[in-house]
Amino acid sequence: MNTDRIEREVSIEAPIERVWEALTKAESIGMWFGDGAAATIDLRVGGVMVINHGEHGTYPTLIVAVDPPRAFSYRWAGGYPGDLATEENSTLVEFTLRSTPDGTVLHLVESGFDALTLPTDRVATGGFESHSKGWTGVIAKFAQYVMGTDETPLVSSS
Amino acid sequence: MLTALADPTRRDLLELLSVHGEATATVLADDLPISRQAVAQHLAVLDEVGLVMGHRQGREHRFVVCPEPLDETARWMAQLSQQWDRRLRAIQRIAEAAHRVSPK
Repeated sequence: MNTDRIEREVSIEAPIERVWEALTKAESIGMWFGDGAAATIDLRVGGVMVINHGEHGTYPTLIVAVDPPRAFSYRWAGGYPGDLATEENSTLVEFTLRSTPDGTVLHLVESGFDALTLPTDRVATGGFESHSKGWTGVIAKFAQYVMGTDETPLVSSS
Repeated sequence: MLTALADPTRRDLLELLSVHGEATATVLADDLPISRQAVAQHLAVLDEVGLVMGHRQGREHRFVVCPEPLDETARWMAQLSQQWDRRLRAIQRIAEAAHRVSPK
């Protein structure tokens, strides 16, 4: 079992520029990653993107790569609401986009789980489970909001 | 727990212990390029996060692997993957909807 990284991919029937916009525009980010309200984003390396998850708090993520329309990466401290992402408290989220005859393939890697230090009370109480349950609730609610209750699988995923 | 598993020696140790089923630090050290004291320290870390459990049998301190937290981590990773599936699907919808409204 690889516990360090998550890797997924999706095919999108839209040009790469459209996917780039969906990925990086404040209003869209709020829809796919936040609670629906527009995120704030300073789209440059070293810039901060603030994701709002309502009652669960806000997540100031740190942008580490911007190469429109091909690459977008940031660090986020999912275990530490309110804290700016650093090397110690966060995972690295990397999106890469590539054009295909049908549109665009969007590739995602979230890595750094093995080196992640989570608050000790969470670890001690088997907090991964409870922590992720909280997250699942938020994401599920958001998914219903954005996409209805559609649960069809992705076109492709690894 | 992931931090406990970040160390490759501890991964090896855990695998070795699961092969043995039950073993002491001395026995495990025989198969690893580290001292018995180092093995004992690694076992203490693994014990703390619940990946191994120690018990006394006579004069020996024996350890066994506890797989439950590993299963929990697998579930956690699976949940995170599902969350990403949902997020990617949301990005897909946003981009495809924008493209339908004004094709380029």
